[in-house]
Amino acid sequence: MKIHYGTALAAIALVAVHILMRLTQGFAESLEYDSVIANYKFLPYAGMLEIILILLSIHGFNGLRVILLELKQGRRYEKAVSYGCVAAMIALIAYGSRTIIMVNTGMT
Amino acid sequence: MANQDENKEGIGGMINPRRYGIERVAYLLMRLSGLGLLAYFIGHIYETSSILKGQVGWNEFLAITQTNAGHAILAIVIAMCVFHTVNGIRVMLGHGGVGVGKPARPDYPYIPASQNIRHKMGIYSAIILAAIAMMYGLAVMFGE
Repeated sequence: MKIHYGTALAAIALVAVHILMRLTQGFAESLEYDSVIANYKFLPYAGMLEIILILLSIHGFNGLRVILLELKQGRRYEKAVSYGCVAAMIALIAYGSRTIIMVNTGMT
Repeated sequence: MANQDENKEGIGGMINPRRYGIERVAYLLMRLSGLGLLAYFIGHIYETSSILKGQVGWNEFLAITQTNAGHAILAIVIAMCVFHTVNGIRVMLGHGGVGVGKPARPDYPYIPASQNIRHKMGIYSAIILAAIAMMYGLAVMFGE
């Protein structure tokens, strides 16, 4: 549970910054193409998005793993759930990182 | 082995909120909001990847989400997020021994010290804060 709680606490702080960025700019304006591109090109913000992506992926898929393990137990089932959640976590981090890196480096 | 199977209630037992009071409701809401937020997170990652298709692709995808239904879903996500956060902090504090009462000899009628008014207030606060945040989110999204 240490990983679950640690990622949760870190994510609360960073997601708060992410949401405040939307509200301080004006919700609709902040979602305009140029504004979003500018956000991604700003390296500290892009870094923060990457950290949020990793934290929430770990927290989310570990939470899903816990729920699935509460429902059913068994050696093969538990291994399948654990490895499946880790694989899904890695896939999501890779997919999200691709967006962040490509926009940040101007590969759009 | 047969008895063990009889006692397995599966998902039905997991989501039954009637037997253990507000704590069970919080347990159920925590899991439902967690699953909902994970689904939203995956959708959000997919949604933001549309920026790689350029301005036209981004605006096309944004148009799908900037509807009344899209705003309503986002308001529910806000509520889930606030409930999950506040109740999660309560659970963390409880695991750390905060607000669960002092250890004592179990005497009849065996009222669990940890299921006290402080934690019940924490659960009700999480629900109320989630509702307030959802209303604020709706005001921001529909106010523009």
